[in-house]
Amino acid sequence: MIGGTLSKWTMSYFAIAITWLIAAEALMAAGFGFPAADVAAADTLVIVHMVCIGWLSMAMCGALFQFVPVLVGKPLFDERWELPALVLLTAGLTALLAGFLVLGGRLPAGLWLLPLAATLLAAGFALVVADLGLTVWRARPPVGPAHFVLAGLVSLCATVALGTGFAWSLSGHGGEELGKVLATGVPLHAIAGLGGWLTLTAMGVSYRLLSMFMLAPDVDGKKSRLTLAAGSAAIGVAVAGGLFAIEAEAGLGIVLAAAAAFGLATFALYGRDVAALYRNRKRRQLELNTKMAAYGFASLAAAALLGIALVATGSFAAHVGAFAFLVAFGWLSGLVLAKLYKIVAFLTWLETYGPAMGRLPTPRVQDLVAEGRASKWFAVYFVSVWGGTASLLFGQASVFRGAAAVMTLATAGIVQELIRTRRLADVAEPLRLPNGTQPPCLLYSRT
Amino acid sequence: MTDDLVARIREALRVVIDPELGHNVVDLGFLYRITVDQGDVRIVMTATTKGCPAAAFLREGVAASTAQVEGVRSVDVEMTFDPPWTPSCIEPAVRSSLGFANVN
Ligand code: HEM
Repeated sequence: MIGGTLSKWTMSYFAIAITWLIAAEALMAAGFGFPAADVAAADTLVIVHMVCIGWLSMAMCGALFQFVPVLVGKPLFDERWELPALVLLTAGLTALLAGFLVLGGRLPAGLWLLPLAATLLAAGFALVVADLGLTVWRARPPVGPAHFVLAGLVSLCATVALGTGFAWSLSGHGGEELGKVLATGVPLHAIAGLGGWLTLTAMGVSYRLLSMFMLAPDVDGKKSRLTLAAGSAAIGVAVAGGLFAIEAEAGLGIVLAAAAAFGLATFALYGRDVAALYRNRKRRQLELNTKMAAYGFASLAAAALLGIALVATGSFAAHVGAFAFLVAFGWLSGLVLAKLYKIVAFLTWLETYGPAMGRLPTPRVQDLVAEGRASKWFAVYFVSVWGGTASLLFGQASVFRGAAAVMTLATAGIVQELIRTRRLADVAEPLRLPNGTQPPCLLYSRT
Repeated sequence: MTDDLVARIREALRVVIDPELGHNVVDLGFLYRITVDQGDVRIVMTATTKGCPAAAFLREGVAASTAQVEGVRSVDVEMTFDPPWTPSCIEPAVRSSLGFANVN
């Protein structure tokens, strides 16, 4: 099982994901897309998919290839699918962005790029879903957090199916039915992607990682099942109910209100579960990753409150951009960056020192990181995200660009820390590379 | 003679640390049982978290460093999570330095 414990390409997924994140942040700082352009404008779609597919989905896939086998105690169904999936997703995303640029008139005609992109992306995601799904299936019946991952994968399929429908429709091949879905169904796609795939999966993964790194007892299975039931209901109502409403030409209002109610219940239940993990932890001192994850949770709570306030004042539609920004960058990206910081150090340790254990003195995982330095970048990151959200709410486009520029800088700072970890730059001699150990490669793991 | 070998094995195992907690498996109380029969060593040990990828390396590490001890003919290491490890297994002197609440 030694060889099977490290996923070879997880680091490559992380590297590509972070590259997309920095590119998207830099484009926002340059004033590309929302808020200078409309939320639904082609330029905005470019940024949205760089963040949703390039950054968040890629990072999540990379983490799941490593994490799902640990979760279920069985090796990955087939490691050889990881790299082709990465190539397909990268090619598909590139084509999708090009297609959006055609749509916005920035590139000459070539709308066929959209269905091509959808096909490549669907193929890539299908490999990921099949590989992870079959891994969980090997260990049936699935345990606790594995259920969240399964619900996330089902939502991913729904997201991709809807996105593929949009792509065909936008390229003029969709027919009348798909046109109807495209006209009003974009929120379903966004909810299935951000809410179902990314949020439910992140929740499941966070249960396990938090209990592992804080030595807290696992969340009671009954409680986490209730959380998942509420979350699945929210996504199920939004997508299935939404499609039904579109078919019946009934308007999405009631369906989305019901989904929002389930969504709020999910956040409240999840908040209860996470609070219990922090409260019952046996390790009193928090590491940087668990401290920063808490800012991600705070952002999720803030997003829920913001959503309630916007709906109550009837201004949700006007501020959906600010809301989505806080969800994507405060909650999802904040949590993923915090966890990456730990996972990279942990995997780098395993790769370099695991095989030497018992033969040579080895450093600790914490010796691979310099939390003091990194915490400054994280602080700058979260402050700029919250500032960016506020500037969107108050319609200050130029302040937003400044905030995005600071986010870019902070992310680059965090990346530099990750690279130092990979290079073992902070490990003191003589423990750094004793005889018989090999330095890790930056972009993939030796297994 | 047997007790002496067990003591030497325990001493040797101080080089194996839990990468997360940064202390050796002896002080952390990961070693539940070490039995020796004419140089054939059997170790029953645990780790903090079931399914953690580090657990496999810990097991290998314990086997490797035991094998180097003079007088050891063969090593068999079993990983168990029953009973589960709790911070109360840690040597008291190490426990507070790790930031564990003493009540646990
Ligand atoms: C096969 C993959 C995908 C394709 C082909 C695709 C395609 C599209 C298209 C064509 C639109 C615009 C619809 C319109 O307003 O005309 C859209 C919107 C959107 N997509 Fe995707 N998508 C895919 C995957 C994803 C994923 C995985 C996520 C999130 C995790 C996502 C999140 C969003 C969001 C949030 C919007 C709304 C953006 C806005 O209105 O500004 N998409 N997608």
